[in-house]
Amino acid sequence: MTRTVTFTKEQIAAYAEASGDHNPIHLDDDFARSVGLPGVIAHGMLQMGIAGAVAAEAAGGGDRLRRLVCRFSGMVVPGDRVTFTAEQMAQGGAPAAGSARPRASRGDVPPQTFKLDVRAVKENGEAVLTKSSAEYV
Amino acid sequence: MTEAGVAGRTYPAVTFEIDKDRVAAFARAIGADPAAGVPPTFAAVYSLGATAPQLFEDPEAAIDFAKLLHAEQEFEWTRHPERGETVTSQGRIASDMSRRGIRFVSFETETKGVDGDDICKSRALFVIRQ
Repeated sequence: MTRTVTFTKEQIAAYAEASGDHNPIHLDDDFARSVGLPGVIAHGMLQMGIAGAVAAEAAGGGDRLRRLVCRFSGMVVPGDRVTFTAEQMAQGGAPAAGSARPRASRGDVPPQTFKLDVRAVKENGEAVLTKSSAEYV
Repeated sequence: MTEAGVAGRTYPAVTFEIDKDRVAAFARAIGADPAAGVPPTFAAVYSLGATAPQLFEDPEAAIDFAKLLHAEQEFEWTRHPERGETVTSQGRIASDMSRRGIRFVSFETETKGVDGDDICKSRALFVIRQ
């Protein structure tokens, strides 16, 4: 599952409003420059939100996600075009063809968990989310 | 490496209502379908977001917000909350270490339903340049 997003100041401001994270490094260019940034930057949690939406789609629904881990390795600024990917990891494997859902758990047997490799990469090849992954049932 | 004094500190639990309009605005901001229920990463709001201000506003924790970076984030869900549900979230400083002029604060939040059942565990790693 892949989605490419071109970040805008409007989207960053909409995330600030909806999430309640009004840190001025995401909203005010002058403030951001005063603390050594090139200008406003996207929230790491906005990147994680998009990665989580892509992972939820790959998992067959957000309610199946059990874990999401992201390491924020690079800055994303307005105008950056970032491709988010969530792919089955070879180990842990995808459900076999024909079995749309893992078997329901019985007694103390935990439900089978599947793993997704999660990545976000800028057009210039710079990875902004690294060592990131998701698990779903 | 030094261990500072606030590791292990637990903050009072915070009650949070999963407001459907806010969920829809959040879903639109991350490019998810606003009709498809609570996006998993809305945990950034009901779990981390509900409790992190207690850490940032704690004078004894002395977090320099202007020098703070969110380096890593993990959410682990037992289930996902419903729109309109009320949850409680409780934050705790899991560790606080300084190394070569950089401070690493691990902040964990547990979110539960009204019956005390587990919903989400959040683990945030904040890096503060000294």
